[in-house]
Amino acid sequence: MTTCTGCSLLCEDIEVILENGRIKETMNACRRGAARFRGCKNWLTPSVNRKQTDIDTAIKKAADILKNAKSPMLFGWSNSTCEAQVKGIQLAKKLNAAIDDTSSFCQGLLIERALQKKFRTCSLEEVRNKADVLVYWGSDAQDSQPRHLSRFSVFPRGESRQRGYEEDRLAIAIDVRESNTAKICKGHFYRIPLKGDREFILALMDALSGKVPKYDAKRILELAGLLKKAEFGVIFAGIGLTYSIKDDIDILVSLADMLPNFHIMPMVGHYNMRGFNEALFKETGFVNRVKFGVKPVHDNKYAIVEALKAKSIDALLVVGSDPISSLPRSVTSHLASIPVICIDPCVTLTSTIAEVTIPAAASGIESGGSAVRMDGKVIEISKVVENTYLSDVEIMNRLMEGL
Amino acid sequence: MGMDIGKFLKSPEYEIKLTTCRDIFQAETLENDRFGDEYKKHSAAVVMGKDDSKKFGLKSGDRVRLTNSYGTVVVEVRESKREEPGGLAFMVNSPWSNALVSDDTGEKGIPDFKSINARISLTKDDITTIESLIGR
Amino acid sequence: MPTVMELYQLLPKTNCKKCGESTCMAFSVAILSRKKKVSECTPILEESFKKQKEKLESLLLPSAGAEETGMIVHPELCTGCGNCVVACPVDVANDPHGAGIGCAPTNDKVIFKVVDGKVKAMNIKECRRFGKNRVLCYACIDPCPVGAIEFV
Repeated sequence: MTTCTGCSLLCEDIEVILENGRIKETMNACRRGAARFRGCKNWLTPSVNRKQTDIDTAIKKAADILKNAKSPMLFGWSNSTCEAQVKGIQLAKKLNAAIDDTSSFCQGLLIERALQKKFRTCSLEEVRNKADVLVYWGSDAQDSQPRHLSRFSVFPRGESRQRGYEEDRLAIAIDVRESNTAKICKGHFYRIPLKGDREFILALMDALSGKVPKYDAKRILELAGLLKKAEFGVIFAGIGLTYSIKDDIDILVSLADMLPNFHIMPMVGHYNMRGFNEALFKETGFVNRVKFGVKPVHDNKYAIVEALKAKSIDALLVVGSDPISSLPRSVTSHLASIPVICIDPCVTLTSTIAEVTIPAAASGIESGGSAVRMDGKVIEISKVVENTYLSDVEIMNRLMEGL
Repeated sequence: MGMDIGKFLKSPEYEIKLTTCRDIFQAETLENDRFGDEYKKHSAAVVMGKDDSKKFGLKSGDRVRLTNSYGTVVVEVRESKREEPGGLAFMVNSPWSNALVSDDTGEKGIPDFKSINARISLTKDDITTIESLIGR
Repeated sequence: MPTVMELYQLLPKTNCKKCGESTCMAFSVAILSRKKKVSECTPILEESFKKQKEKLESLLLPSAGAEETGMIVHPELCTGCGNCVVACPVDVANDPHGAGIGCAPTNDKVIFKVVDGKVKAMNIKECRRFGKNRVLCYACIDPCPVGAIEFV
């Protein structure tokens, strides 16, 4: 049995069948997990200035670039093991560099509040054993964390929910479209307009405090009724919700305060984004966007998006991420003007323009370590195929040595 | 007689509101080969309800140009199999959708990935390649 | 999915009753629902009906895995989410500490397993839609958002 790194569920019940040292088939992993184990078609090779070289030369060049930069940033991290993330933070400290991860333009706002204990959260095992009302808000778990409903939230029998989804659980979806997840929440799908989440939350808060909501009264009152009856409710806050209320994220905290039996679980995509947030939080009290110096400073200007817009960084280390793919094209032009170092198992859009590329072992397949599941539980991941790639931790160590 | 007036008329342009979503089949192709045809097939597409496609005079398989002040891409139209109230179309999160996202972040670091305003028009141009989305 | 009419057009249409049904139309219904096999129509086994027999068999082929319960799995639609594995009452009963609580199956007595990211059905005779006390169970259909499992 091994652990899958396809998403932040970190399913630990995957059987991998090997043939001639390669993965032939997997059992129990979902379609995405199975694809993760199969790996990519174009493996990254070491290069400097787009010319193939050996790994030691590439690592040395990367260390030189970082050493000589005046305002470097270390970015990525959500596909790295906890061990590599901790090393990455140490590297940033040594360089007085800025460090940021993908949560910066994703679920960072919610993870931060979870770690600051601004709202109640729970574990996935508690969801399985106790939860009776599940709300998928701006979250299409069926596509992003495919085994979420089958392993934990809706379909399993749980200790206090022995009659499972047939009688003991209620699944509700709130979204702008009828996603695959919403389809399963038949009869309890609340379609809202784009950017309509804030208004919906305010109306729901009115209903919960006994007032008649000014908007969509019938539906809101019905939903408020269902939520009030919950013994152990969970709101799975997806990226759709976060992006919609990002300018006033605390409105979700206010809603949670009015639902004493509810817990909020941020839905995370990458397998170890939460790991980085927790590691940086432990070190600095912040989950992302930090610059190290005399003491760590947290500021929006150290967000990857703002730093690129302001052209304030002069070198970028990209670890297990593809900003040219994930960021708006309107903010990435600066990447063409600064040295970019890519550490990744596969060729990515960013690696094609990088000054240095360093191939890394695919964690969870070619190297092991630990990772943090979306609910904060630490899970071990393992190496399942023999290979000669350097793991992400080993690369971090070598970069430190090269400084 | 029989002059083809249509040849001289540009395809009508309409305002369209877009949001992005996730799709496991696209994620599978991303794990395999982000430069491949399968990833392109799943990503370079805009899904809309029948009411909207009728309003724009489009059908599944048509190629359209989506343009705004941040960028322009050519993608394929797909009619949604589900009931859609109209007024909102969908793209799977990808470099194609990211080509249209605004750089206005209020200096808070989170772009409006899921709220895109663009103009849509029928086109004979080829689907935008991923390579052209890397270069400038 | 072929229609009853499509199948009927390929039969001898003599209502000879050799298959045990009273009419060829009734036999069409029987082969579509898997209650009878094409070869039970003895006239169609003759050389003059060779083309029709082949066409009948090819029309019925996609459902070849359906067996008596009429269950067809469409792996190309399946996301491997495991909802059917955990929702199936047979899986819960036969694997209460595995599939029953949301984990991967721990034995081979289950009906559904996810192999290489897609669902595979086995032990179909255990399905509650089959046998003397059959019920119209929807446990694997309702939780599937993509319609990867259907009964014909």
